[in-house]
Amino acid sequence: MQVALKIWRYDSSSGERALREYEVDAPEEATLLDCLDLVKDRVDGTLAYRKSCRMMICGSCGMRLDGAAVLACKVRMYDMAEAGHVPTISAMGNLPIVKDLVVDMAPFWQKFKAMKPYLQPGYERPEDDREYRIAQERMNVVHKEALCINCGCCVSECNAMESDPEFLGPQALAKGMRFVGDPRDGATVERLEEYSGEHGIWECTRCFFCNERCPKGVDPRDAIAKLGAEAIRNGIDRDMGAKHAKWFVRSSETTGWLRETELVPKTQGVVSSVKQMKFAMGLIAHNKAGLAFPPHVARDVNEARNLHKLVREQDRTGALGHVQGEKALARLGHGYQPGRDPFGPGSFRRPYLPGEDGDAPAAAGGDMGMGSRAQADVTPGEEPTRRRGAES
Amino acid sequence: MSAVEAGKRVAYYKGCLASLSAKELDTSTQALAPRVGLELVELEAVTCCGAGDIHEAEPDYYLHLNARILAYAEAAGCDTLLTVCNVCTLNLRQANFMLSGDEVLRDRVNRNLGAVGVPPYGGEVEVRHLLWEIAEGEGYEKLKQAAHKGLKGLKVAPFYGCQILRPSKIMGFEDPDRPWSLERIIEACGGQAIDYPAKIKCCGFPIIQAREETALGELIQPVEQAMEAGADVMVTPCPLCHLSLDAWQQKLEAATGRSFGMPILHLSQLVGVAAGLAESELKFKRHIVDPRPALEQLEV
Repeated sequence: MQVALKIWRYDSSSGERALREYEVDAPEEATLLDCLDLVKDRVDGTLAYRKSCRMMICGSCGMRLDGAAVLACKVRMYDMAEAGHVPTISAMGNLPIVKDLVVDMAPFWQKFKAMKPYLQPGYERPEDDREYRIAQERMNVVHKEALCINCGCCVSECNAMESDPEFLGPQALAKGMRFVGDPRDGATVERLEEYSGEHGIWECTRCFFCNERCPKGVDPRDAIAKLGAEAIRNGIDRDMGAKHAKWFVRSSETTGWLRETELVPKTQGVVSSVKQMKFAMGLIAHNKAGLAFPPHVARDVNEARNLHKLVREQDRTGALGHVQGEKALARLGHGYQPGRDPFGPGSFRRPYLPGEDGDAPAAAGGDMGMGSRAQADVTPGEEPTRRRGAES
Repeated sequence: MSAVEAGKRVAYYKGCLASLSAKELDTSTQALAPRVGLELVELEAVTCCGAGDIHEAEPDYYLHLNARILAYAEAAGCDTLLTVCNVCTLNLRQANFMLSGDEVLRDRVNRNLGAVGVPPYGGEVEVRHLLWEIAEGEGYEKLKQAAHKGLKGLKVAPFYGCQILRPSKIMGFEDPDRPWSLERIIEACGGQAIDYPAKIKCCGFPIIQAREETALGELIQPVEQAMEAGADVMVTPCPLCHLSLDAWQQKLEAATGRSFGMPILHLSQLVGVAAGLAESELKFKRHIVDPRPALEQLEV
């Protein structure tokens, strides 16, 4: 089959960027990585990209295909070639580009190391002096986290990290959970204290890009939620994010609904809330905030209160509570539901082939790809976003 | 208007914001529903879904709280629970999959529900957002008829928000990287959909209290890109995105020294304008950025 690719080339020494198109003759089973090899061997030997194992184990070949981070060795090109789609290949996001598709992983490894990604033994020696045995149930807590191959696909798309480059991010935090959840580790509380800092657990913006992109099913956002639950279980809840979360729990069992007006002082404290007064007055003027009086109380809210009491007694707190849903969620296929026409209207991954569907909205683009049509053509290396709101 | 025929009976879960700071979302949804073939059965005894916060802090309580909501929807005789908020949609759908996919877990949760006087949940309810109801099938056909007043080429930037697209295995409605539902609705209403990269990204709302600066760094992307693409208004299916885009826009202006003035509509309001709903139902005066000047061109 003929495979055409558009590749963003970048030379950091000259700062030169260019989108070049290549076409190669590849076998039908070829992956994106195979096609890049063909380009490098037969068309342009100066193309730079990372690779090693070619089988989704080493995590070297993370890059963007039509704006979405993938492992090049995992993506087969057949459907795209058949559809006549020419995908745009670029380097991963949120990391500086060295050359073409190669990014500088130094900031990534720096955050990785900051998590102290090794066991700090804290367990007592088993009485029978044999090996330390762990029940499967305890290891289930970190099963998904242990699958991480450090490829960086999650980091590439992290929305919070785009805004704050210092955010520890999905990969590092998932790695952290791998040790927080390990019963052999003796530094749980110290880790949770450390991970709860300004750029830690509570800076995650819950955009779920990391879960969406991870090629190994680690679901880093779920790992961050586990860390949050463990932090709160261990009483490490000084962060505004933790206080925010606890206020939802409190609201749900008192009035049933979020007590919106009190959310700011409960999260930020009274002093900080006073500084927000001008902003709040603006909202009050538009009926966006203010005291609901009498408070809006859900009928039979005592049921919620009693449920809360009951589940607390049953003690599936912390990460254990998160894990109990994993089995059922793991059964979900990726994307569409069984029985649904995978390419019918309303289905996941609808390709919008040119001229195929007269009803297709023009703005949704004419060919298969990621994001909006504009997204894949954002020049890598140029600031895709504004770092922090304060700079224009 | 012709007599409204009996619609599809759905349990209506309005969530916290539509009950409080985004009442305009509730009134416009209630007014729009019969015109797009939906009969809303309001649930009285339900609570907050936990907004992802209870899920994070106390996951077992989150599951029970959502099971209780699903149980009451089922007890009302509805097989669809209609949501108007992305965050509610994700939380309820996730709990629903956990319960319907794991019998042991469901039995345990049902025993607990029974102990506090809540009916058991059989796992037969589907959680669907209003967006999905009107983007395809019967709802879409009704929408095309209802939107007779038309948006007359109004340039509308769709903003999906995160938790209606991702994680796609839980949402499962459309391609999370190339969604089409809002565009289809905008065009059916006679508007012109504007394309821009940040339409599938985060508005920053979940951390807007705890990490305001980081949140604003996210928020600026959709607002700025929609403006540069020439949008008259933006539309979102999520009241949290709405609050962030509409109310925090002034903080964005203060932080950057720039002026945006981008009006933000709820999905039900956008369709409501095309369907000719009254101002008393749309309640635009509750917005921080007044959309009425941008919509004035439609009055001609």
